Amino acid sequence: MAAMAATSFSLLGLLGGNGKNVARRRRIAAAATPEEAQVTEEVQEEKQPEEPKVKNQKRMPEKRVEPQLMAQSKNMGREYGGDWLSSVTRHVRIYAAYIDPVTHAFDQTQMDKLTIILDPQNEFNWNDDTCNMVYTYFQELVDHYEGAPLTEYTLRLIGSDVEHYIRKLLYDGEITYNMNARQLNFSMGKPRVIFNANDESQIQGIMPQ
Amino acid sequence: MQGRLSAWLVKHGLVHRSLGFDYQGVETLQIKPEDWHSIAVISYVYGYNYLRSQCAYDVAPGGLLASVYHLTRIEYGVDQPEEVCIKVFAPRINPRIPSVFWIWKSADFQERESYDMLGISYDNHPRLKRILMPESWIGWPLRKDYIAPKFYEIQDAH
Repeated sequence: MAAMAATSFSLLGLLGGNGKNVARRRRIAAAATPEEAQVTEEVQEEKQPEEPKVKNQKRMPEKRVEPQLMAQSKNMGREYGGDWLSSVTRHVRIYAAYIDPVTHAFDQTQMDKLTIILDPQNEFNWNDDTCNMVYTYFQELVDHYEGAPLTEYTLRLIGSDVEHYIRKLLYDGEITYNMNARQLNFSMGKPRVIFNANDESQIQGIMPQ
Repeated sequence: MQGRLSAWLVKHGLVHRSLGFDYQGVETLQIKPEDWHSIAVISYVYGYNYLRSQCAYDVAPGGLLASVYHLTRIEYGVDQPEEVCIKVFAPRINPRIPSVFWIWKSADFQERESYDMLGISYDNHPRLKRILMPESWIGWPLRKDYIAPKFYEIQDAH
């Protein structure tokens, strides 16, 4: 139960505290079809609650996810429970599995990896910068929840935070709705006239006094 | 004002406290958690063979948790069966109440729901685990001090 307490720490402590997260290895593999905004990222999640953090730091450099050419879909049958640890919301899908970015093979034996699929329905216009912002934030969250039990609840906390972050990006005007999306229902709020609420000059001319 | 079961319990020297009658005139008793198992057995023997309802609620912020049992005495040829309502209060920290599953089997899912929503752990319940929420859920949603996690949901899709 001591491990569960880790989920309740505030996020601010992490973001301000350790800058080492930036140096952490991260690999982003673009999907096979570039017109989809579907990018797969694998990160390592060290989730040994009893191990001190020093060990994680030492182990970090040599841990790399190799591209797995022969990856197959494993452990998805009924005999393994027929389901998988995931957090699926509209714009963020997080699986505790390795998903091959090319063949989409879903290897559930590798539960030390989290894979995020960003905006599979292509509701927003993404570019590399905004994608990387989301991935960095996801990486920070994963580091923050290090030591928490790998359950659906934790994954959903992470996925929800990423969704809120995407919403913030939208409200700040970093990303926009994709008007060519298959369905236009503006799931994060209707488009607004003020594009960037942080920019004072845009507000000045528009807002009534 | 004392109901029939209360008088009967007093006659047999069993500790309880009368909480009066509800709007339908059903007698309400308060029983301590440590007495509840024996009194449940006794009331079954007395003739309350039907657990009509079991529910639980949070009495007050920071206060006690209550588990409520509505017992009915079902007999042939009776159109106004005898009823009683029993409330068992447990502290918020480590609430433990003996399960009545082995007396009235219908308490099974009800007690699991009470466990799921309020975190009352029923001793001797055969499979006490969450029934409505996902098993990995943290917290007891119907407690008054529960804070819902800020999970993302689509709220303003058009």
